[in-house]
Parts: sequence; structure tokens; C-alpha cells
Amino acid sequence: MSLIERLAPQEVGFPLPWARPARNKVRMSDALLLSMKVNGEEVEVAAPAHFTLLEVLRYKLDLIGSKQGCDKGDCGACTVQLDGVARLSCLTLAVQANGREVRTVEGMTGAHLHPLQDCMDKSVAAQCGFCTPGILMAAEAFLTKMGRVVTRGEVAEAMASNLCRCTGYTKIVDAIVDASAIMAEGKN
Amino acid sequence: MLRLPVFGSKSPTSIEELVMAIAEPGARIVAGGTDLLPNLKHKLHAPTTLVSLDRVAELQRITWDREAGLLRIGAGVTLTQLAEDAEVSKNFSSLSKAAGLVASPLIRNMATIGGNVNLDTRCRYVNQSEFWRSAIGGCLKSEGDVCHVVPKGRSCVAAMSSDCVPVLISLGAHLVQVGPEGRREVAMADYYHSDGIAHTHCQPGEFTAEICVPIAKTPARAAYGKWTVRKSIDFPLISVAMHFALDRDAADATITEARICLGVLAARPKLLKVDALVGLRLNDPTTAELVGELCFKQGKPLDNVPYEAEYRRKMLRVFASRALRDLLA
Amino acid sequence: MAGDFTKERGGRIEGEEVQAWQIGKAHRKIDAVDRMRGLLRYTDDLKLPGMLHCKIVRSPYAHAKILSIDSASVLAMPGVHGVVTGKDFPTPYGVIPWTPDENALAVDKALHVGDGVAAIAAIDEDTANAAARALKIEWEVLPAHFDPAESLASADQINPYSRTGNLSKKVMLEFGEVENQLASSSCVIEGDYFFEGSTHGAIEPHCAVANVEPNGVLTVWSATQVSHYLHRELAKVLDLPGNRIRVIQPPLGGAFGGKSEPFDLEFCVAKLALQTGRPVKCLYTREEVFYSHRGRHPMQMHYRTGFDKDGKILAVDAKTLIDGGAYSSFGLVTTYYSGQLLCAPYAFGSYRFDSKRVVTNKPACGPKRGHGSVQPRFAIECQLDKGAAALGIDPIELRRRNFIGHDTKTINEFQIGSNGFMECLERVEASSQWKERYGKMSYGRGLGVAGSTYISGTNYCIYPNDMPQAAVQVSLDRSGRARVFSGANDIGQGSSTMLAVIVSEELGLELADIRVVSADSDLCPVDLGAYSSRITLMVGNACVQAASRLRKQVVAHVASKWQIPAKRVNLVRGQAVDIENPETCMSLAEAFALAEAEDGMLSAVGNYNTPRDRHGEYRGGTIGASPAYSFTAHVAEVDVDVDTGVVQVIKVWVAHDCGRALSPKIVEGQMEGSVYMGFGEALMEQHVVDYNKGGVHTGPSLLDYRMPTFLDTPDIESLIVEEADDQGPYGAKEAGEGPLHPIIPAISNAIFDAVGVRMDKTPFSPPRVLAAIEARRAQEASGELAPHKAALREERR
Repeated sequence: MSLIERLAPQEVGFPLPWARPARNKVRMSDALLLSMKVNGEEVEVAAPAHFTLLEVLRYKLDLIGSKQGCDKGDCGACTVQLDGVARLSCLTLAVQANGREVRTVEGMTGAHLHPLQDCMDKSVAAQCGFCTPGILMAAEAFLTKMGRVVTRGEVAEAMASNLCRCTGYTKIVDAIVDASAIMAEGKN
Repeated sequence: MLRLPVFGSKSPTSIEELVMAIAEPGARIVAGGTDLLPNLKHKLHAPTTLVSLDRVAELQRITWDREAGLLRIGAGVTLTQLAEDAEVSKNFSSLSKAAGLVASPLIRNMATIGGNVNLDTRCRYVNQSEFWRSAIGGCLKSEGDVCHVVPKGRSCVAAMSSDCVPVLISLGAHLVQVGPEGRREVAMADYYHSDGIAHTHCQPGEFTAEICVPIAKTPARAAYGKWTVRKSIDFPLISVAMHFALDRDAADATITEARICLGVLAARPKLLKVDALVGLRLNDPTTAELVGELCFKQGKPLDNVPYEAEYRRKMLRVFASRALRDLLA
Repeated sequence: MAGDFTKERGGRIEGEEVQAWQIGKAHRKIDAVDRMRGLLRYTDDLKLPGMLHCKIVRSPYAHAKILSIDSASVLAMPGVHGVVTGKDFPTPYGVIPWTPDENALAVDKALHVGDGVAAIAAIDEDTANAAARALKIEWEVLPAHFDPAESLASADQINPYSRTGNLSKKVMLEFGEVENQLASSSCVIEGDYFFEGSTHGAIEPHCAVANVEPNGVLTVWSATQVSHYLHRELAKVLDLPGNRIRVIQPPLGGAFGGKSEPFDLEFCVAKLALQTGRPVKCLYTREEVFYSHRGRHPMQMHYRTGFDKDGKILAVDAKTLIDGGAYSSFGLVTTYYSGQLLCAPYAFGSYRFDSKRVVTNKPACGPKRGHGSVQPRFAIECQLDKGAAALGIDPIELRRRNFIGHDTKTINEFQIGSNGFMECLERVEASSQWKERYGKMSYGRGLGVAGSTYISGTNYCIYPNDMPQAAVQVSLDRSGRARVFSGANDIGQGSSTMLAVIVSEELGLELADIRVVSADSDLCPVDLGAYSSRITLMVGNACVQAASRLRKQVVAHVASKWQIPAKRVNLVRGQAVDIENPETCMSLAEAFALAEAEDGMLSAVGNYNTPRDRHGEYRGGTIGASPAYSFTAHVAEVDVDVDTGVVQVIKVWVAHDCGRALSPKIVEGQMEGSVYMGFGEALMEQHVVDYNKGGVHTGPSLLDYRMPTFLDTPDIESLIVEEADDQGPYGAKEAGEGPLHPIIPAISNAIFDAVGVRMDKTPFSPPRVLAAIEARRAQEASGELAPHKAALREERR
């Protein structure tokens, strides 16, 4: 693993080799000032109207946990929660999140790993891990809604928006079922 | 990554503001965005403003208007809400089923019933990137002037691919359209026409506010069947909705009125001629066979969506008969 | 002798107790939590100050001459900082050094829809996209060839660098007397098979970032699985010395062979960074991923298989036409693999294969999981099933009778070591209740079996050299910690965890105390990359060597301090312990400090190269030869809907001999993922272009290219078989690709059991299956065939 993977870009401290200024001033399309609660924190961010929520999260707020896999809602890697409902951030306009609460994978871990993350880790349910943030977001919303131990069949139904190309899903289903037991117990 | 074209946005909070916002030239309504945003990323439209209806609370309710004998579904109700509504499921199982079978769970969390009834038609030659379309010179519905499905065809045959539309038509539903001129009602059976480029009678500046489904006064049964390759994500490749009014509430009741509607053929959902079913017993095995036969005879799929038209036509027969049998199970 | 790096393999002190404390245990992966928390930066997550965005302009034509490109007017657009075209990359390259037939961007003509023609760097993606759209290119459209047979016959040469027209590669090898043996066979099965193209579908699209450091070093971060080959080709194409280029592979979002050679974007960002002096990023759209392809080759296969009356295979005659697409890619190897990897787990009395790879105007095919051998495996396993049916022998029994054995040579002279195939067969037979159920389930339900073998890395290095195929450096320090430097690409398969497990096993460290630094050409020793299932065996062996050298060093100092023989010292669970007197112990930090005080910095290297005596002595005899072979058997259970042709795979039992399973949970994950990927190819995936529409891809998206979802995927039961191999680290062999092979023929064979039809063409789509069922019904109606499972039809509806 290289150094840069661990560091946020501003920490990299690259000297600027490109001393020459841009040749032309370019007008960006008008940006809107959006305010939203992201992972419990109020944030204000400026983004043009044609930016998706995914683009704002990844490229403006540097919340790179949500991934872009297919461009248009076919893979689920960009899944986040908006006011508690799991949805595809690549098909959500950033303005639609204005004034709302956004939860991304970065918000899952407090002092401890979330039971879903822990079960996924234990089951080795993440191989390349690229679909995993989306899977976690969809699964968390599903388990919260169910509030009880779920069956493998229910997991497959609920998770059928999220593609994983590595695992054959088996271990992900194991992990979600295991986590549902821990989460249901924690509630009682 | 595939980027959206540049546009402005508005987020009205009332029907009045909404009407004003979409009256602006170049304005386009966005509800769940699951159909529109991919199309925009494909540069199939170039709106100047997107008007989001996600903050108009009035559009997000399901109400039982007993007086009028109608179930009123606000256009902004999501497909998940609709599919999970216990009362809807009890009274309109085919609608509940269709809503719950659309695409994938996350799409249903976002997509609205209003968006679903206005879902743009789809075709393998048009729902592609701008680059891809440029490689085939476009088509009637995009930048070109030819149809790749029907050679020499002069009208677009892109397929009506909504799951809920055939069901709503079979249930005799109507739409409440709101626009600068006020509101009007239009029967869903009359809302669609055969031009795949603009396949609805939605007027400029108008939007769908409500979907109204008549509460049956007589015993009735309804069913929905579809075929997709995958069990999730895919659009339907064939779809069939049916509704039978019965002389009494039993599996061996006699059919007094029947409506069968097919989707995914061309731009217009097809309401079949099914008079031959009236007077038959619902659970008579020949009824299921006849239903299959009627769908096969009258439904003529085209090669506008993936998988061979001929095969899909055969499947109309199988899936229609099965939908009816499942109804009795 | 040069290249003999294997002498010290094992590295245990003589007489020492071997007590596995990590090998074979359930591990959490060392980097999974960071991935799950969204903290690890994949390539597109990198953002450098002043970074430009690059967009590649692609050909809308399958075959067209470039007359002119108006770069100047685009360069004048506000926000555009650089434009490069094929003329900026005159040096052709190819991952196989014998077939350099691609340019980073098309120079004179484009060879398929989606071929890169120009690249633009601009201040943001929207500006780059707008400039790409505005770029004027004049084309002269040329006739295109999509059908390989037609292309082969045509005089129009598609790829300008080809030396043999549109024939990309031809291999013909014969072992034994095939015609004689066929003539003396009591049963000859002849069949035509077609395997459709399919693609990898990694969820992460390709992405690359380049930056020129003030000291002039060009750094390229890329979502690649072969950093070393990328490093070499960048040097060649950019005409820069290798020591001025640094290649880093950030965490990778899946590859499966789809990122195993250089792609246009890596050259383009590098060139544009050199040109503009600013960092440049390029991220493919999903559609571009489909054009970059390098996926499974479509193959038309004609097979003749001769059996004696007991079902022994006397002869196999295979003729294969391979559709290569526009470029060679790994095609030379693919063509060999299409024949060379077939000669186990069954003994062939004689064997001949004749494979031709052909250039067509399509995205180039290349290596996808199970490179080159998944397609012929489909053919041969269906042939065996047909042979078993014709001879009235149970299909599992027929496979047993042909078992090649262990420590033996295949007919094409590959040396096989361990072989757990018989146990694989037994396990799937028992678990699936084969004996009770095969042929006895109701009409529409069926079981099918298939077997396979695969390589654990290849003896054939892509470029000939005497240097090691793998090298690892391990350092320890006084804090009780190990650093492992490895060039190996962890593409999600868990190779970094594998290295940590080995170091942990050898040095007694907890996994958490081991840092693996991988795939950074400035920091790590050279490794050839993640392909051919080579990493566990090759890099694992190198790692064992490095770690065991350190182990000996540390143990010696501890033993001398305690004044006991070295063999009494064990390093385990974070401690050095006197085995005979466990109260005598010290922490590893103390032990390392002791050694460091005596010897200075603790660091050791390990190397690995393949043995040179395990392949055939004929031209091409090294290609496909491996130090060790894995073996697999599958049983699939299907339910075929006879009215629709929809095949539901209910369950798959997969038994895989991976040698010693270093980390069984990770092995299971590889088995399950393999079954899943093959299942998709068997039933729904197809990477095809539209011949009637100028060669456009029929659906370059994850909507139209149907990869199975949670709901589609069958239940998978993984059965690990551990037949340790002398060549592997602790006896380990591969697990990442072998378990994919049998699923496709197993499903086809199960469909036969279910409804009596043979599916010889992938995918087994509902229209095809229904057509086959209808054809059989017609034959049954005319009395030509007896009704399939006549007695078992009542049970169904």
C-alpha cells in the first residue's frame, strides 16, 4: 500500500509543478449554495444544479467512500441514505439533498465498528471492497427497517439493487443475517 | 464518468408554485429521477431547468376517497410506498405487485408512481450514450431520421416499459393532470398514443398530479405477469395485466367483464379485445388457455427491446395463462 | 545457475517442530476494514492540486481511416490544456513483447467502435467532454469484418501491424496418433460448440492519474493488476528510462483479468501530464470499460472424442476458431491455452489441437478469469457427458476411470504433482446425493457434473529473462513489527493478507503487526502481477523464503542468549518461547531488538522462479506449464421451466483442490466468486457487437450487460480439498480461477439430465433452451426419440 492511499489530498503536500497560470478564465455554471446534514454534521457546499449528490459527496466534500461504478443506477455502489431511506446517489441531484440528512458509509463507524461492518469483515464478505460501501448503506437501511433477525431470502430480495462481482454474494448474505441478530439483540 | 448536461433547478413546495415553474420554457419535471437522469446523461433531452416535485407534500399522499369510489395516489408517492401499503395490497393486489416488481429496491425507493406512468418509451437503439447513437446515426427518437427496429418505418416504436401502466389501465384508472389551464381528468386507456417520441397526451406545462383507481363495486380479481432475464434491475421484456369483474367472489365465479392490457410492445399499451371471456368461469382451464391465446394473437412484440420478438410473443401466452392460474392459487 | 531461486524453499531449521498457528485459520483480511469504512483511496479517489481531467475521443466506426484531426481549434477552447493524438504515440506496444500491435491512440485508422483516437485534458470533466464533442475528425470509413471466418478469408488487413493478414496466431500440436485411435474407438462423439464472449465487469471502472514530480519523475497511479508490465510499456511508448517512472497501484475495485495490460488512458494521462506540467486524471465511463474489454474470447470449437467400450478416452481432436477482436492482447498465449490446458485431470490416449485466433473489428479479447481454457473445458466436459450417455456409464464414474493420477506427466508433457481430483469428485458426489438423485428427479429437474484443472502461475514469463518471477523483502524492527514489500497486485483476491499470514506464521507476529506495502514500483521489488493465478504460489514462496531467513536469524540470537539449541526456540503468538521450558520466553519486540543489536537492521529478501523441468520439450511446451495444478469438480442442480426455457440453477456444489488452504475463508470466497462469474456466462452474459449496425456493442452498460444479482445467484456450497503440493508455500496451489471452469458444462449437463437437450452454445438463454426443448418434443412426437424421463413426468405440475 502506498502512502497516498492513507492521506487526504491536502495532506499530501505535493509542491506545485504547474507554475503557469490557466490561459483563459473559465466560467463555471452558476453554483448553488446547498446546506445539508452529512453524517450528523451540518455542511454548506456550493455546487451547480447539474451535479449529482454522488459528485458532490466525492468531489466537493471528499467523502470518497461512496463509489461510482456504472454512471446510471445499475450497480448500487453509490448507495447512500437520504432521510433514512437508501437511494442511488448517482441518480439523485445534489439539490434534492438540500436541507436533508445524508448518511454515507463514512458515518457508520463511531467508537466501534458497526455490527454490519464487523460481520462483513469476519465473513470476509469484502473482496475488492468497491461495492461494499453501497452494500453497507443498503443493508443498514434494510436491517433498521426490519428491526429483527432476517432470512437469507429476505436479504436477497432487499439487496437486489447492489451488484458485487467478486463474492458470489454468499458471504455478504451470511454477514447481513449475522448482523441482523446482533442488531436485533442490541435493540432489546 | 457520464455527466449530466448543464441545467438550472427549482424546488417548488406547492402545486401552485409547481405549475408556475414548469410553465417556463425549457422546464422539465423531475420526480424520482431514475428514468430522467440516465436519459439526461445520455443527452436525450436538454432542459434549461429541472423542476423537482419532491418537496410538494400534497403530491405524496395515498387517500381513499370513498365518496367518489376512488383510491387517489399522489404522483409523488414512491413505488416502495405504494408496494408496501397494506390497504392498497389488500384491494389492488395487481397494482401492488407491479409496483413491487419495478426495477430494483433502490430504484423503487426513489421512483414515483407519477414518474412511472410517464416513463419515457424505451428502445435498444435510443437508450444509449450520445456517442453510441452517433455510431448508428441516431434514429427517429434521437438525432436521426430512420427507425432501426422497423426498416423504413416512419413512426417511432419505442416500447412503453412501465410495469404499473398496463395494470392501471386494466383497473380502469384515470389521471388528474394539472396545468396552467387548471385540472383535467383523462382515462389512462386514452392517455397514451402510438408515437414513441412523445407517447402521452401530457400537454405542455402540464403534469400528472394524481392517479385515481376506481374501487370495484362488484367482486373482481386482477393479476400481473412479466418476464425479465434477471430477477431484479431489468426492465420488463413482456408484461401483461388483467382484471376480471365477477358475478360473485369465488374462484369458480363467472366473468362479467374483462380487461387485459399488454405492455412493452410499442409506444402504446395495448388493451386487448377480450369479449370472448365474458360468461366463462374464471377457474375453467380453458379460460386460462383462452387468455393466453388472446394475448398471443393480439400482442405482437417488436425487436425494440432485447431478446427475440418471436420468443417474447410465445411468452405472452405462457405468462398470461400463468398469471391467471396464480390468481386462483 | 541463473534463475535457480528455489533452493532455500521451506527454510525450516532441521528437526524443528512445525506448528501452524496461522496457516489454515480463519483470517480477517488485513485491509478490509479500511475498505468498508470508505477510507481507502482507490484511483478515482485521488485528487491532486491543479489536476486536469482527461477525456478520450473514440471512433464511432468499426474500421475507418483517420484523414485529419483538428486538434488546434479544440486546444484554443477555454479551459482546454492539452490534446494528444496517435501521432504523439508512434511506438506500438503489446503486453506480449512478440506482438506489439497497438498504439496508445489510433495512428492511421481505428479498428473497432470505441477505439481511442485523441485525448483531451481540461480543467474539469464538463470542459473536457465539451471539447471532445467539438473535436473535428475526418474519416474514411473502411469495410469492417465482424465474423472471424469471414475476416480470415478476407484480403483486407485489419490490424496494420499484423504479419499474417487477419490470422493473429495459429497453433497446431499433436501428441500420439489421433486418427488411428479414433478409428479404433468403440464410440466417437463429435460435437460443435460455441462459447460466447463475455466481459469482466469489475465494479470499479478503469482510472489512471499521472503527475510529474519536480525532480522529473513521472508517477502514474492506475487501477491495474500488472503494475510491472505497465511500467515497462510506459517506458517504451513514452521513450523514458524506466528509472524516471513510478507506477503505483492504489487499492483496486476488481479486475478478473480486465486490468491486466496497459490501456489507452494510462499513456494518455502520462503524456498529457508531461505536456501540461499538471496532474491529469482519466476515469472511464462504464461504456468505455466495455470498449477496453480484453474479455473472454468467443470460440467456435469442433471436437471429436474417441472412447473405448469402458469409457477410457483414446483420442481428443479439437479444432478451434478464436475471435480475437482488433488487437493481439495476450492472444498468443490464449491460442496456446485453448489447447494446452486441457490435458488433465483426465488421461488422453492421444490428443491434437488446431487453434486459430483471428483479428476482427471488435473490442480486443484477452484474459478473463480462466484465461483461454474455460471455453475448451466447456466443450470437453460436454463431450464426456455425451460419451457417458452413449456408453451407459455414470458421468462421474466415467471421469473417475479417466483420472490421470498424481506425480505424472500429461500427454503434452506437463509435470503434474499433487492431484486431489478424485476427492473433489467424491465430495460433490456425496454432497449432492448424486447416486440417489442423478437421472431420477422429475422431468425438468436435473444434476450435471464437470471437472477441470488450472495452473498456479505459468512457467512462461511474458518477456524472457533470468531474473526471479517474484521477490519479496521483509524487514523487522525493534518495535516488534514487520514490513513486507511486495510488487504483487492485491486486486481484492487477498494477496496482501496472504503475505501477512505467511510472515505471521514464520515470525510469530500477530497479523495486526504486519504492514504490507505493495505494488509501488519505487518502494517494492518487481513482481509480474496478478494473473495466471500465480501470486499465492510464486510470491508466497518468495515470502516464505524471506521470512524464514529472518526467523533463523532471530531464533539464533534468542537461542544464544538462552544458551539452548536453536531448534528449541519457537516464535509464536507474539513471543519467542523455549519449547521445552515455556516459562522462558520474551516478546518478539525484545527478540527483534536482541537480533538488531547484534546484526544491525533486520531485513531479508526472498526470490522465486519456476522450476525448469516441468514442461514439454517442444516449441510452445512451456506455455501453460505450471509448477502446480489445482483441480475442481462441480455438480449443478437445475430446474428447467419447460414452457419458457428459463433455467434456474438451484444449487452448485464446488469441490476445489487448492493444495494447502492458507486461509480457508478467502479460498471459499474465490470459489464462490468463480462459480458466480461462470454462472453468469452460462445463462445470461454476452459481450457482442451488432453486425448489422456497424459493429456497435449491443449494450455497453450494467443494465444491458446482465450480471447476476443477489436474487439470481444460486446457493453455492464450497468444499475445500487440500492435496498439498511440494511446489507451493506450505503446499498451497491456486484458488482464484480454477473453480470457474466446470460450472458452465455442469449446467449444460444438468439441463440434459433435466429435459434431455444438449446446450452446446452459451449463453443458455431462455429462447435457446426453449427452442431445444421444442425440437426434442418434435423428435419425440415423430418417434425418432423416446420421451425423456417419460416415467418421471407425472410429478411435474
